[in-house]
Amino acid sequence: MQRYIPFLKALRKLLITLVLVVLIILSIRVTEPDLVKLVSSFPKAESIMGQLLRPVFFDRESEKVTVSQVVPVPCDSVPVPTSADSGSRIVLDPPCGSPKDVINLRGFDLPQNAEISLRWILPDGGLLSIKNIKTDDDGEINMPLEIRPITSAIDGKAAQISFEVTLPNGKLVVAKTLKDVINAMFVTIFMALIATTIGTIIAIPLSFLAASNITRKGKLGTVVYYLVRAFLNIIRSYEPLVLATIFAMIVGFGSPFAGVIALSVTTAASLGKMFSEAVESIDTGPIEAITATGANRVQVVMYAVVPQIIPDFLSFTIYHWDINVRISTIIGFVGGGGIGYLLSQRINTLQYSQAGTALLAIILVVWALDFLSSEIRKSLV
Amino acid sequence: MLKVENLTKVYPGGTVALKDLSFEVSDGEFLVIIGLSGSGKSTLLRCINRLIDPTEGKVILDGIDVTASKGAELRHIRRKIGMIFQHFNLVKRSTVLTNVLNGRLGYLNPWTTTLGIFPGEEKKRAMDALKRLGIDDKVDSRADALSGGQQQRVGIARTLMQEPTLILADEPVASLDPVLAHSIMQYLERLNKEDKVTIVCSLHYLDLIQRYATRVIGLKDGIKVFEGLPSEINREKFKEIYGEEAQDVRATALE
Ligand SMILES: Nc1ncnc2c1ncn2[C@@H]1O[C@H](COP(=O)(O)OP(=O)(O)OP(=O)(O)O)[C@@H](O)[C@H]1O
Ligand SMILES: [Mg+2]
Repeated sequence: MQRYIPFLKALRKLLITLVLVVLIILSIRVTEPDLVKLVSSFPKAESIMGQLLRPVFFDRESEKVTVSQVVPVPCDSVPVPTSADSGSRIVLDPPCGSPKDVINLRGFDLPQNAEISLRWILPDGGLLSIKNIKTDDDGEINMPLEIRPITSAIDGKAAQISFEVTLPNGKLVVAKTLKDVINAMFVTIFMALIATTIGTIIAIPLSFLAASNITRKGKLGTVVYYLVRAFLNIIRSYEPLVLATIFAMIVGFGSPFAGVIALSVTTAASLGKMFSEAVESIDTGPIEAITATGANRVQVVMYAVVPQIIPDFLSFTIYHWDINVRISTIIGFVGGGGIGYLLSQRINTLQYSQAGTALLAIILVVWALDFLSSEIRKSLV
Repeated sequence: MLKVENLTKVYPGGTVALKDLSFEVSDGEFLVIIGLSGSGKSTLLRCINRLIDPTEGKVILDGIDVTASKGAELRHIRRKIGMIFQHFNLVKRSTVLTNVLNGRLGYLNPWTTTLGIFPGEEKKRAMDALKRLGIDDKVDSRADALSGGQQQRVGIARTLMQEPTLILADEPVASLDPVLAHSIMQYLERLNKEDKVTIVCSLHYLDLIQRYATRVIGLKDGIKVFEGLPSEINREKFKEIYGEEAQDVRATALE
């Protein structure tokens, strides 16, 4: 038998290797990697990334200006109007015409490289699109225009050519998207804050019940200890995202409330566990010493236990707030409200630049909180 | 007067730490308990103030049965019994002042102290205790910022707040160097002589025993194997208490 042991060991290694290889092959097959697609969709990705990386912060304040020009058809139907010689304007050459004539239309002092929708305003008030045209680098347009019979003047009222342009007046204003993002970010931060607070308040008593050095005494204590531990472990095994989805189905999608409930529950469970470990690791010397002075139980807890656990409790709580902000950004995706919800909406409506603003805000806030929380925790030790 | 009658302690694991131990301590004595590690010294001291419940036997302090009391009565008895520990047992993150005030908790209103409020006169009492031990300049330091000797003095100041009639000291100098050991023992001696506090103290060093003890009890495996004056501890007795290997230690300690 002895002689076979090395052989058996080698066989076992071989088997384990085989199983691993099979598992890896299986996992590649189920995840359906498509490298061709990754390359072929590069142009699309480039455009999306380009927009994501150009987040919107400011808009130029603008005015909408309607530029129009009366067109007498035929020429003697109404007096030929004089055209303005400054500002955004349309100049026709000749300034009037008969149906089927082709005249020259020029526009001056328009926004550069802007899309403009030219249209007729017919004498009866109806609208007729002409074409979309882009202004050139000088903010001008120049195109032939065919005069249609339908544009003939009726009862001394002539048709007009008109379009609307938004003229930037130079002032920078905070983009609406940025305001929305900041609002949603605050919702997320406060969502995390309130969930952490509720979770902490629940976690404190639970942690003492789940601490072996406090609770696991006598039959009743042992039963309570194991029950609370099991409860905490079961709750902890639920992902906050799953819980948030469930609560969102109950209280409605897009509501921060769903996220708050889900986060509170998971925070209570994981802080309960972390706190209980802090309670278990306290030095029993001071407890012994203060008990020996004739202090009662409450005094012993206040003066021997609390000073030992406060820094740990605070540090864990701040750390968890930090984690909760991260989770709540994602919770929005499953209907929990806040910045994640805004981000998912912008992505679904293909507004990638706005989505970029939200992404940048998330990165900045997560980074700032990470820094802040680690600084605070350092000062607590 | 402290009376220990037929004290036995069996730990849940089955270890017999004390076996049918009886002795008396008169007021004003400085009794030293000696014995090897594991001989039951700590268990004995903790049975006296009921940090540990003895399995059998009685502890009677000034006519009151400590072993039978519980709740508020037990806390009132504990108030008058100070305790000093090898590892000082201070709340490390609290200030020296708070640590000293902790010694007074048994006397104060549980509600106001729970809120962290201590009367002004108690703070003054704490300052006086610290002055007496020569560390009043450390009053606002965190306990863990102090050296071992300073921490033990804070421990004694905390005990002073109890206005004790009896002090239990469990190897109070075992984690200190010899010079500091003497200075701490001298504080205990002054409490014993000036304040007439009875002292029951476990010790390891023979020179300290000869210098401070008025009487000595030797324990071995939870059984009393010696009781007498420090001068009565001769070669034979020491071998009996500490075993053969202790010879050399004794030789150097007696010089
Ligand atoms: N909580 C406990 N549970 C079980 N056994 C214990 C416990 N505390 C002490 N013992 C045992 O009881 C015996 C006496 O221990 P004790 O601590 O009283 O000895 P000691 O004389 O103070 O020793 P040392 O000089 O090392 O402090 C030892 O055998 C020890 O292992
Ligand atoms: Mg001991």
